[in-house]
Amino acid sequence: MSSSELGAVPASRSVTERRTRRSLGLGFFLSELAVLFRRRRTWAMLLALAAVPVLIAVAVRLSSSGSSGRGPAFIDNITQNGLFVGIAGLTIAIPLFLPLTVGVVSGDSIAGEANTATLRYLLVSPVGRIRLLVVKYLAAAVFCLAATLTLSIAGILIGIALFPVGPVTLLSGDTVSIGDSLVRSLLIALYATVSLLGLSAIGLFISTLTDAPVGAMAATVVLSIVAQVLDSLSQTSWLHPWLFSHYWLNFADLLRQPIEWSSFGQNALLQLGYVVVFGALAYGRFSSKDILS
Amino acid sequence: MPRTWHRWIPAAAAPVVVGAVVLGGVFATSASADPADKTPQQVLELAASSTVDTFSGTIEQSSKLGLPDASGLGGAGTSGTSGGSDLSSALELLTAPHTLRVYVDGPSKSRVQILDDMAERDAIRNGDDLWLYDSKDASAVHSTVPAGASDSTEAPAEALTPAELATKFLDAVDPSTEVTIGDPVKVAGRSAYDLVLTPDSSTTLVSHVDIAVDADTGLALSVDVFAQGSSDPGFHVAFSSLSLDAPAADLFDFAPPAGTDVTEKTVPSRDDAPADGTATPDAGAHPEPTVTGTGWDTIVELPASADTTQPNDSSMLSQLTTPVEGGHVLQTTLLTVLITDDGRVLAGAVPVDSLLAAAAQ
Repeated sequence: MSSSELGAVPASRSVTERRTRRSLGLGFFLSELAVLFRRRRTWAMLLALAAVPVLIAVAVRLSSSGSSGRGPAFIDNITQNGLFVGIAGLTIAIPLFLPLTVGVVSGDSIAGEANTATLRYLLVSPVGRIRLLVVKYLAAAVFCLAATLTLSIAGILIGIALFPVGPVTLLSGDTVSIGDSLVRSLLIALYATVSLLGLSAIGLFISTLTDAPVGAMAATVVLSIVAQVLDSLSQTSWLHPWLFSHYWLNFADLLRQPIEWSSFGQNALLQLGYVVVFGALAYGRFSSKDILS
Repeated sequence: MPRTWHRWIPAAAAPVVVGAVVLGGVFATSASADPADKTPQQVLELAASSTVDTFSGTIEQSSKLGLPDASGLGGAGTSGTSGGSDLSSALELLTAPHTLRVYVDGPSKSRVQILDDMAERDAIRNGDDLWLYDSKDASAVHSTVPAGASDSTEAPAEALTPAELATKFLDAVDPSTEVTIGDPVKVAGRSAYDLVLTPDSSTTLVSHVDIAVDADTGLALSVDVFAQGSSDPGFHVAFSSLSLDAPAADLFDFAPPAGTDVTEKTVPSRDDAPADGTATPDAGAHPEPTVTGTGWDTIVELPASADTTQPNDSSMLSQLTTPVEGGHVLQTTLLTVLITDDGRVLAGAVPVDSLLAAAAQ
């Protein structure tokens, strides 16, 4: 991209101008990340997410009543292999906890700045509205990755601490080495991250609608719950493939031998569609909005 | 706001673009280079001469039999052990949609995976070893195929593949079946002939059967069974992806993982298959069935046996069946099952009256 652009621009002045603008964008992105991850709220949410697998592991360790026969089989499996704790934690967190934290971050993105009356100062400095939107969205996406990785890593660590660790049995009944299973855990965290990108875009759009961050957060979380409820009703089956939550729990396809990649691709395409539609909506709203605060 | 209306153009265009991409994908897959014209007889011969015995692929199977979703019947079907009777597992296979992955390498190596939510059922055949694995309750069944019987005993779940199912229909082609060719279709990205089998019978529930025969290899790629008066297939099974390369050899090396309940079975009867969706609900019973009628009007009758209805199933049976004179009837769009009061089971793709008449004889 950049090389063709540079070739098309003859004057060296505009080249340097572009360079500063681009580095400005990166610097803005990094400072936005620093702001996000310096907030105590962000760390509190990551800690709460890390507590999910820890609680599961401790509860299973203390009860140790053997197979309960309820829930996904790998909740039972964690007593035999600690490496499953991360996956079990993600399974528990995906329907509610992860959307909750992502809703907070993405819902706060624009509305939070508006609420603290910093939005207009941001825009007075040479930051375009589009770039502000993109940077805010990318920061939310980085948070998605941080959240799922936190869950997975905390789960694996507590699992190693409390349970025996060994080669992992997949859903297909095949057994893979510890290294392979760690790669699959990473893939599952990536899958969950991709799953949350659509919701982040929705949160960003809602955040441009209002100056009240709490309202944007709540609306985003409520939407994620509504989508999951619709996904579970057989009466709305025509709608299911279009719901952003439809593939959330299909990460189990990464636990088959060989890996079934189709759900990963379908999920990525669906999330991309949501990012395009709600990104465009957010642009339409944010660029035509009068910034008063 | 009127100054800024054009900023909403991307927001208006985005859904259009997304929709165009989705629809474009649909149309792109339906457009295909038509294979050379062939007569129905030539396509039948093509299908019969198919020698593909090494492939891997994904299969989508669904059915609209007019039965309630078995997962809602007292937890049967979704919870493997509690409702794991033959009847409920057969109903689950018949009513719920499934995705399967199939790996076949020659006549003696095959693996079929039923991809459930957060679980998987596997049937692996490697030489003489036959394994059935269920990840839900971490259980496995091991049996050994007796020597000499290897031709007829494929892995049971293979009965769900389009090829096996099509073979059953094509073997049954007789003068009571009219064979025609529909427009060429594209299944799993391969162009195929659409073979339409129409029963020349007024009493059968089957309106017609569509079989997509791969233009290159003669392999059956999809089977759709249509009920009378319905435009949607009552039973649909099709490859969604297919590769004719040999699957990885280590897929067929199965050893039950640690902590698995392994059951040894010595007699691998074809009816043992828990994954055999085409089996009649009481496939566990072994009395010899009697067959009356011919062609599409065939009625299979199983004589009374001690365990036709396990106590476990009776409540479910009463939910599913309707009482008639002399028994109970399970009516689906494609298949009717009559359980008489004296314990006989009659099944066929015919209306209830035909079954009652056959039962009275």
